[in-house]
Amino acid sequence: MKFSTIEYVIREVFFSFRRNSWMAIASVSTVAVSLFVFGMFLVIVMNMNKMIDTLESQVEISVYLEDSVAQAQIGRVEEKIASMQGIAEVRFIDRDTALARFRERLGEQQFLLDALGEKNPLPNGFEVRVHRPDMVKTAAAAIGQIEGVEVVKYGQDVVEHLFDITRLIRIFGVALMFLLAGATLFIISNTIRLTVIARRKEIAIMKYVGATDWFIRWPFLLEGVFLGCIGGLVAAAVLWGAYGMITAKVYETLAFFPLIPAHPFLLYILLVILVCGVLIGALGSTISLKRFLKA
Amino acid sequence: MIEMKDVSKIYENGAVALEHVNVEISKGEFVFIVGASGAGKSTFIRLLFREVLPSDGTLVVNGFDVVGMDHGDVPYLRRGLGVIFQDFRLLPDKTVFENVAFAMQVIEAPRRRIQHSVNAVLDIVGLRDKYKCFPSQLSGGEQQRVAIARAIVNNPALVIADEPTGNLDPETSWEIMDIFKRINGSGTTIVMATHDKHIVDTMKRRVIAIEDGHIVRDEAQGVYGYEV
Ligand SMILES: Nc1ncnc2c1ncn2[C@@H]1O[C@H](COP(=O)(O)OP(=O)(O)OP(=O)(O)O)[C@@H](O)[C@H]1O
Ligand SMILES: [Mg+2]
Repeated sequence: MKFSTIEYVIREVFFSFRRNSWMAIASVSTVAVSLFVFGMFLVIVMNMNKMIDTLESQVEISVYLEDSVAQAQIGRVEEKIASMQGIAEVRFIDRDTALARFRERLGEQQFLLDALGEKNPLPNGFEVRVHRPDMVKTAAAAIGQIEGVEVVKYGQDVVEHLFDITRLIRIFGVALMFLLAGATLFIISNTIRLTVIARRKEIAIMKYVGATDWFIRWPFLLEGVFLGCIGGLVAAAVLWGAYGMITAKVYETLAFFPLIPAHPFLLYILLVILVCGVLIGALGSTISLKRFLKA
Repeated sequence: MIEMKDVSKIYENGAVALEHVNVEISKGEFVFIVGASGAGKSTFIRLLFREVLPSDGTLVVNGFDVVGMDHGDVPYLRRGLGVIFQDFRLLPDKTVFENVAFAMQVIEAPRRRIQHSVNAVLDIVGLRDKYKCFPSQLSGGEQQRVAIARAIVNNPALVIADEPTGNLDPETSWEIMDIFKRINGSGTTIVMATHDKHIVDTMKRRVIAIEDGHIVRDEAQGVYGYEV
């Protein structure tokens, strides 16, 4: 493209913003809201995935023994576990230690245990660590077969729960995304259409004197891209601020909750948002121009 | 320059505007298209710059196969043509100079050449001193002269005009015709649809008469031939 053409395109875009400033503001806001929601969903889903990963990689397996297992047998069970493949460490936790730990974890709610009186409801058990996360499942199954073992537990339940929740969020998010994308496209293409209509005489003359479709299209395309881009920037800025606040709050109150650090994770999200804004803008103007360029 | 073979045009609503029309126009000719209202003159003109497509037949304009060409080549057909309308079709928020320069900008001509060519054509139509005016500050005849300047600024081989004097008084019409004569004198082919009996009879150029979509007369030095 020639320099004079670039100048022309930029001037046209600028004029059209001035002409339809209200529509432009409406489009930018719609894009911003939609992309903010989109970014929020991305952030939530990716954090859930991260949490699932973290939990899955916690390679500890809790083994609870039947109460009937005698003290002497405990050693044999321990040996059996230790001799299995992929086991890194086996630690015996007697029921008193287990209760003490439980009490500690309850913190201020220890009074709940008072109801039990002197009785200790917890069984003896082991904490087993394996070498690699992908061994957890097989190891747990194998340990479960050993005589005297009552239950084997690892992160599985929580992980599966999280999977379900994430899937729900994803479905909901995608549905909402389609709705918002539709609304955004609608308003952008209408904004551009206003410009097209305001300039239809000019477009007709351009065609008579032999302007190419692309020459005619550029200013409108750029206008759409600008609207989408500015909307994307606004969304990105708000998301940036929001994520910063949320991570700070979460670190204060729920320290164990492993949020993905803003840097560089959020940068990718912001980039995705911007690209989406640009694409939506370009698509919006293409839609509204299609009819005018046919003849 | 123009080869129209067995061309018919039936609009989407079924209106038959032209039927089995055969016309050949050579380079450098000055041709009037005459006929009553609704005869099909505008349709004939619009076919030439491919604003509408023939329903049937073949049409070659300035070397372009109008029927078979790609949509993407249409701009290049039009760059070889200058089109002029009864209602001028100027851009009201652009000056005389800008209106003419516009035709060069949109085909991405270099800026220095734009300056030079626009001044040259404004000289031809006699509006050099009004280059800063807006269309609303000009008379009808002056506006049409701007439109002519815009049509010829890219040096077209063929100028097509649909009733260019339709909105002008007789005297102004003659000023316009003088410009057309001069353009034609430099070798540019001109095809002009008109209702103006006086102009056609005085100019003594080729006249193609259309009646109800058919060519009923084609004379080298014709007259209008209808009472108006
Ligand atoms: N866009 C269109 N759609 C449908 N029918 C049309 C269209 N344009 C023209 N027609 C019909 O085609 C026929 C020829 O019209 P055209 O405009 O070519 O006539 P004309 O000779 O230019 O008339 P005038 O002298 O009034 O300008 C008319 O019957 C008209 O109603
Ligand atoms: Mg007509």
